[in-house]
Amino acid sequence: MSLNALESSQQTLLVLLPELILLATATVMMTAGVFVRVPRRVWAGVSTVALFVSFVVLVLLIGKSTDALQSPVLNDALSVTGRLLFALSGFVILGLAHDQVDDARAPEFFGSLLFIHAGAMLTAGANELVFLFIGLELVSIPTYLLLYLSKRNNASLEASTKYFFLSIFASGLLLFGMAYLYGLAGVSNLKALSALLTLPNLPDVRFALIATLFIVAGLGFRVAAVPFHFYAPDVYQGSPTLLAGLLAWLPKGVGFFAMLRLLTGVLAATTPTTSLDNAIAITWIISAITMTLGNTVALSQNNLKRLFAYSSIAHAGYLMIGIVVSFRNASSVSALTLGAEGLIYYLSAYAFMTLGVFGVILALNTGDRAVETVDDLSGLRQSHPWLALAMAICLFSLAGIPPLAGFVGKFQLFTAAFSAARDEDGRLFRALAIIGAVNSAIGAYYYLRIIVGMYLKRPIGSRLETRIAWPTSAAIAVCTIVTILLGLFANPMLTASRVAAESVVKQAIPTTPAVASR
Amino acid sequence: MASLLLITVLLPLVGGLILFLLPGLGMKQARVFALGTALATLALSVILLFAFQRNILTPQFAFGPPEGPYGVTWMERLGIRFALGLDGISIWLVALTSLLMITAIFSSWESITERAATHYALLLALQTGLLGLFASLDVVLFYIFFEFTLIPLFFLIGLYGGPDRRRASITFFLYTLAGSVLTLIGVIALVVINMMNSPTQDLTFSIPELTQNLSTLKWPAWYTADSWSSPQVVVFLLLFAGFAIKVPMFPFHTWLPLAHVEAPTSGSILLAGVMLKVGGYGLFRFNLAMTPLGAEFLQPWLMTLAVIGILYGALAALAQTDVKRLVAYSSVSHMGFIVLGLFSLSPTGIDGAMIQMINHGLTTGALFACVGVIYERYHTREMSELGGLWNRLPLWAFFFILASLGSAALPGLNGFVGEFPILLGAYQAIPTAAIWAALGMILGAYYLLWMLQRVVFGPLREPARHVEHADLATSHEAHDGHGTHEATVRPLGRHEIAGLAPLMVFIVLIGVVPSAFFAAIRPSVQPMLAVLDAEKKTDPQSMVPIPPAPIPKDPGNGRIFRPAAGGMR
Repeated sequence: MSLNALESSQQTLLVLLPELILLATATVMMTAGVFVRVPRRVWAGVSTVALFVSFVVLVLLIGKSTDALQSPVLNDALSVTGRLLFALSGFVILGLAHDQVDDARAPEFFGSLLFIHAGAMLTAGANELVFLFIGLELVSIPTYLLLYLSKRNNASLEASTKYFFLSIFASGLLLFGMAYLYGLAGVSNLKALSALLTLPNLPDVRFALIATLFIVAGLGFRVAAVPFHFYAPDVYQGSPTLLAGLLAWLPKGVGFFAMLRLLTGVLAATTPTTSLDNAIAITWIISAITMTLGNTVALSQNNLKRLFAYSSIAHAGYLMIGIVVSFRNASSVSALTLGAEGLIYYLSAYAFMTLGVFGVILALNTGDRAVETVDDLSGLRQSHPWLALAMAICLFSLAGIPPLAGFVGKFQLFTAAFSAARDEDGRLFRALAIIGAVNSAIGAYYYLRIIVGMYLKRPIGSRLETRIAWPTSAAIAVCTIVTILLGLFANPMLTASRVAAESVVKQAIPTTPAVASR
Repeated sequence: MASLLLITVLLPLVGGLILFLLPGLGMKQARVFALGTALATLALSVILLFAFQRNILTPQFAFGPPEGPYGVTWMERLGIRFALGLDGISIWLVALTSLLMITAIFSSWESITERAATHYALLLALQTGLLGLFASLDVVLFYIFFEFTLIPLFFLIGLYGGPDRRRASITFFLYTLAGSVLTLIGVIALVVINMMNSPTQDLTFSIPELTQNLSTLKWPAWYTADSWSSPQVVVFLLLFAGFAIKVPMFPFHTWLPLAHVEAPTSGSILLAGVMLKVGGYGLFRFNLAMTPLGAEFLQPWLMTLAVIGILYGALAALAQTDVKRLVAYSSVSHMGFIVLGLFSLSPTGIDGAMIQMINHGLTTGALFACVGVIYERYHTREMSELGGLWNRLPLWAFFFILASLGSAALPGLNGFVGEFPILLGAYQAIPTAAIWAALGMILGAYYLLWMLQRVVFGPLREPARHVEHADLATSHEAHDGHGTHEATVRPLGRHEIAGLAPLMVFIVLIGVVPSAFFAAIRPSVQPMLAVLDAEKKTDPQSMVPIPPAPIPKDPGNGRIFRPAAGGMR
């Protein structure tokens, strides 16, 4: 089914409508913000409405497809799942953000948030190297702005500068990797690239290793994987809570969706080669070290944001298991998609449990007393029973205690690792599952420490008296409830993840040779 | 009947949630409500017990046809089902849980005054976790209930425990979690091995189905367990990690004394009475039934550890001055007997171990409840401060003596019925182990009688602090014109009698008519031993392996890994 250029671009624009709505609203807000003075709740309201419209359009667009070999965007299952996930988490973030900025900076603040979400959604649907890169930058650049906008003390300046330079550096690495990916077959369309790589003797797939290495490095920064993690604790600590929460979730989500598109999607089709084995080795090492380092260093943290920075590093390690396994799935005949599937499920679980935790910290910080260390949460049960409960549920989920979402996600990832084990390097995958399991036991300690503080210790210092605005409470409630529901009724999300994972590795079969060798 | 089991399992949780949502409820309403829920659950359990048919070997009270699949699809992608059902072993454990719950509630009747609603909510949630894990027919469901029990127990110990409760709750939680994540990996390994090597390539998490498939696996390596790296041995050890900590087996017992001593009485009763049985149940259901050759290979090691546990627990109990600590260490010793029986791999031994799980639940539950009674009155558990309580609380002393003698395996009471077959079975397997274990039995009688001698018999000795306190109270009360020292120690209340008496009935009943209990257990033990024999006889070479990396068939029902659409070229 080859379409002419006009139809093709019409389709593309239609599929991009949700992002376009967000981008247009954000542009208008940022421009108008200079001239119009209205309270921040108006800006927050406008962005929520824009996100809602975008969400509705997104739902209406389900089923609309584009020509995979021509269009820069796809509306396949992965795209739909990813974009819906980002939009839904966007509501939570807006709920938490509604009172985190003063009136003067509100238009830029909410505009940036919309840009970030548009970028994230774009990445999930991208089918073109350049387009994917634009999506990633659309996330990064407004993040710099947000970091600079927020507070103006030395710590936050240091944090944002650090983030800025490292992020630029990571983008460079990523571009370098992308160049090699492009060089494999001379096309930038990902589905076309994937189709071309399956042709016998056409490309020299050995270069795929270089591409993998640099792409993993570039995206490793976004997901805060070792050895690109070291900025995270400082930046989280120096940033306002909302931004720390945003950084803990969005770049990670975006990074993993990009990995699925760039690595799993493209290399899934290649026949088993040494370069794929090397890719497994690289990601295996990163995954194992990331979770171990994240969890062990988190044990000794007392500052909440630092602790959750390391916790987010640890979770990047668990998520990397999905990437490792998806390489193996690609190379085995049965092509199990369990790795990618576990990754997508765990990402969605991670989004809500992490945002829930940061939401609680943020809600507590609105009062006079700052809540910064684990001890500051002591006796929370007495002052804020519901917040303590929400926090405990999210923490238990992060620790992987059933029947919550975090458990199902970990279970799926470990199962994926186990089922990827074949005779020749079975030990490798089984070891990864065991490392993951041991890590989740280690990780339970620092989550439990917070729960112990909240429930079993007496409050120290002055009583926390904070009144929490309804959008914040609503956002926290949503996170908590989703964390429970994703665990108890995992089926819809599991099915969605499976369909999405299958769509990642699905080959677009060129109808005519002319299209393929465009 | 299928929905009856479901209601039995979920009823306490519903009750717990209602209590949880009404935290303002006073102590009196909360305890009555909790008792009502627990009694209803007990009634349902009793109905299940009477409706249970001994001659049927497939799980009973399960949704779905008798040959499976049981239950309803839960996580379709992974083939995980919400399936509940009971066999001859789990039915007793369900009944035990429901019975001990009543004791636990009565034991906290007066002692829990603050935040009572939350306390009972946690107890009820814990009960659902325990009932659910005994009734699970799906490994993941089992694991979910298994881990879920940690949360209420963590808060029970942490919020209502003794002075060192915070450390106790953390140690308990992390220690058991560390073991059980390895068990999870073991479970995943079993499921994946089954998927890759069974003829149908089914991804199944059903416990009966896995047990059956794993014994006829088309994988030669599965049938040789001659080194520590054999598949069955490795999987056995992974599964073992979690259950050995739960039991707890020596040297993984270190969390137990701390948790038991710090837990409130209700927590101790359920922890010792039921929670430890989870370990034994898991060893039976998974380690023995699914990796029997691994168990056989490791048998000398396991039996040695069990015997060390028996002797160590007994000696440690002898060294205690705190009654509760003594009972806690006696648990280590008695659970050693259960493990010894299980890994004797003889029908007698395993039968004994299964009945001993019930016995230990009853006697230890009763002992902890009795200790709770004393602590509530004297605020001490030091044996040096207590003595001759027979004179003060005769009915309590009777209960305490009966439970102790049952625990010490006096013939005619329940402990004997369990420990004797265990020793017989162990003797068939490794005679030396049985001889040492018999020594442990003697030590057991020794420390229990010694405890009785000090606490129950002899001249009346009450704690000085208490007397001082009582004197103070007396002098105050003297002004009010009522009460003397004697009156401050209240006799056993009705609720305390109601909590202890049923346990006493069963302690005697099992001792006198053990056959009634064995009859239900035996049919469930036999098939498992048949599997071991069959696997031992299997010639590995006769099992033609399935070609590696097979393409799973796709019946389109989602229960099986489906190859990606573009994966095959």
